[in-house]
Amino acid sequence: MQLICSPSGSVDFRHPGQGIRDIRKAGFEAVSLDLFQCASPWSLETLGKQKKETEDPWAARLFQDPADLKKQVSALLFQCQSNTLQIPVARAPYLPRDTRRTDLNTFLEQLTAYSIRLCGEIGCSSLVVPPLFSGIEKGLQWQENHAYYLRLAGIARECHVTILLENQCMNYNGHFLRGICSDAEEAARWVDCLNKDAGEERFGFCMDTGVCTLCGQDMHTFAGILGQRVKAIRLRDCDGYQENALLPFTCAEQGQNRTDWLNLIRGLREIEFDGGLILDFADTAAAFSPLLRPRLLSLAYAVAEYVKWQIEIENLLKKYATIALFGAGNMCRNYMKCYGETYPPLFTCDNNSALWGTIFCGLEVKPPEALKELPEDCGVFICNVYYREIEKQLRELGIQNIEYFNDEYMPSFHFDRIKRNDTLK
Amino acid sequence: MNLIGTQTKNIVEDGNPEAGFRLMKQAGFSCADFSLNSYLLNTSLYQFQLNDFFNRSVVELEQFFTPHKKGAVSAGIRINQMHMPYPAYVPKGSKELNGYLWNEVAPKSMEICAFLECPYIVVHGFKLARNLGSEQAEWERTEQFLDMLAPMAKEMGITVCIENLYDNVGGHLIEGPCCDAKKAVERIDRFNDRYHAEVVGFCFDTGHANLVGLDFETFLVTLGDRLKVLHIHDNDGVRDLHQIPFTFTKTRENKASTDWEGFIRGLKAIRYNRVLSFETAPVLTAFPKEMQLQVLQLISGIGKYFTAEL
Repeated sequence: MQLICSPSGSVDFRHPGQGIRDIRKAGFEAVSLDLFQCASPWSLETLGKQKKETEDPWAARLFQDPADLKKQVSALLFQCQSNTLQIPVARAPYLPRDTRRTDLNTFLEQLTAYSIRLCGEIGCSSLVVPPLFSGIEKGLQWQENHAYYLRLAGIARECHVTILLENQCMNYNGHFLRGICSDAEEAARWVDCLNKDAGEERFGFCMDTGVCTLCGQDMHTFAGILGQRVKAIRLRDCDGYQENALLPFTCAEQGQNRTDWLNLIRGLREIEFDGGLILDFADTAAAFSPLLRPRLLSLAYAVAEYVKWQIEIENLLKKYATIALFGAGNMCRNYMKCYGETYPPLFTCDNNSALWGTIFCGLEVKPPEALKELPEDCGVFICNVYYREIEKQLRELGIQNIEYFNDEYMPSFHFDRIKRNDTLK
Repeated sequence: MNLIGTQTKNIVEDGNPEAGFRLMKQAGFSCADFSLNSYLLNTSLYQFQLNDFFNRSVVELEQFFTPHKKGAVSAGIRINQMHMPYPAYVPKGSKELNGYLWNEVAPKSMEICAFLECPYIVVHGFKLARNLGSEQAEWERTEQFLDMLAPMAKEMGITVCIENLYDNVGGHLIEGPCCDAKKAVERIDRFNDRYHAEVVGFCFDTGHANLVGLDFETFLVTLGDRLKVLHIHDNDGVRDLHQIPFTFTKTRENKASTDWEGFIRGLKAIRYNRVLSFETAPVLTAFPKEMQLQVLQLISGIGKYFTAEL
């Protein structure tokens, strides 16, 4: 899985030096090429409708000559190259969800075609191309988009670019409803049919978690249906009502996340997602002072790594010939419920001497010192939220293969939580 | 021609049920959605609290509801649908609590439904996906519950209607049981084929659908004739407010932010000729008591508008 940072909100694409360096310094090795920064949804909406002096000159130049796209992003591309940042995915310009412009589909297609060529030139292997929707009747959406995507497929083939469709919501008088490709079965059909008609696997899917959240969708089921068609995830948080791109885990109420990360992670684990994880936190980044942005980017990288770690948690268990656990509480119980059968631990241990010698969830509870006797290829998994304290203790004991386990996003949960008194029984 | 109905909650009182039914009739309704759930509140159940209402025998319950039955008949109101107390399963509840809901409340609700000659009873599917790990595993539990009810339903000539629900993640309402119309169709058909009767149907809840951005038209068209009853109400897309349709706007154009046009198109497409029932009881506590009749008239007027559009 590749961690990709969307530069929107962090990088001024006309003066990208500082922002790109900040991204690289934070640990990211890849960015997405957000071509919609050259022609923002708002600037497209007002194209030709404003006085010359208030019109976005960059979008106007693109309207005259879509080939200007390359010139407009040249500084960004140069900085990415200088900072050894890869660009595995790009996103084509798009119209606002509440657009009234029904006259721009041809221009959008031209712009998208140039976006594909640009991707080909710079070795960017995927381009997210949202479906056309403006001015298209509900019953004709597939027909129109089928023809649109197939027209693009030829160019994409020449340029070795995969076109990624993306789930959409629609703005119904200010309220977001499920839009094109928000029904996973329909989206899967579209991708399959386009690939069949293109005669090769030229199309895939980018799952936008923000749209799923706005539409209150079950992301476990959504990802499960799309399966291997999901080549990229646009990972962003929002409150479920406004379309924002916030840093994951920052939109919370009363100590709880408003995005259903549990079902997203369950879904991505189920499909063994191994594509591009595009972290989009444009609104959070733009709202932070440029003085704080380097630290925000470091946090963003840590968040992306954490999500990847959660999705791939089972790989960690596969890494060792044998494993032992530390902790004889709820986390250990959850481990045993979900993974105990496939990855049976040798035993667990706990600092509570009252538990030593007892059996917990089928495991013998031993004192921590017992870990010293483990073979070299055995991993010790900390099943307790006091990770860092326990890690220190284990290091002092000379234990090497220390790993963290986490039960926040388990495949299933018990209906109750045990209390320490229960454990003692 | 669609008949128009509304909930009995906040209108029909046990002391003089006939007066409430007469008020409904006067306001322009001809059908009632009998709020049996008012006798065992969800808010209590989620706090693991039961009352003794359903400790009564079936005979005692029938005696209790005899004035309601007579009152409705006398006022010219047909009890078309009923809401079973919910949840039917409390996730962290004791075995005793859940056993009581399963073995006492649910079957007795069916008996009351039959006694009131009500053809449809709405039930909530179990909200267990987060614990069990998938929507499918959650449905299997609901299916067991429906399997328990189905023989009674067949014998009594009642259709048990599952309803699209929401779940709550950090205060954000997301899709819950029965929000996938295609799955609902397949599951309903499987049930009815197995029992050789229409033992299971669907109740489309406009408010819940709006909260999770469902496309009304597509959902209704997918359901087709499996749609037996409605819960019509409106909200701001954020909270489950059960307000009057066309109440909410979100832009300066001040157009309704709920897709009522899609609702009408969907019902029209499937030639829905059953009751247009409003689930707007909270409106009646929001408005002054003195305005109750006018408020109910407005709601039934919206029903008439829908009827005319259909």
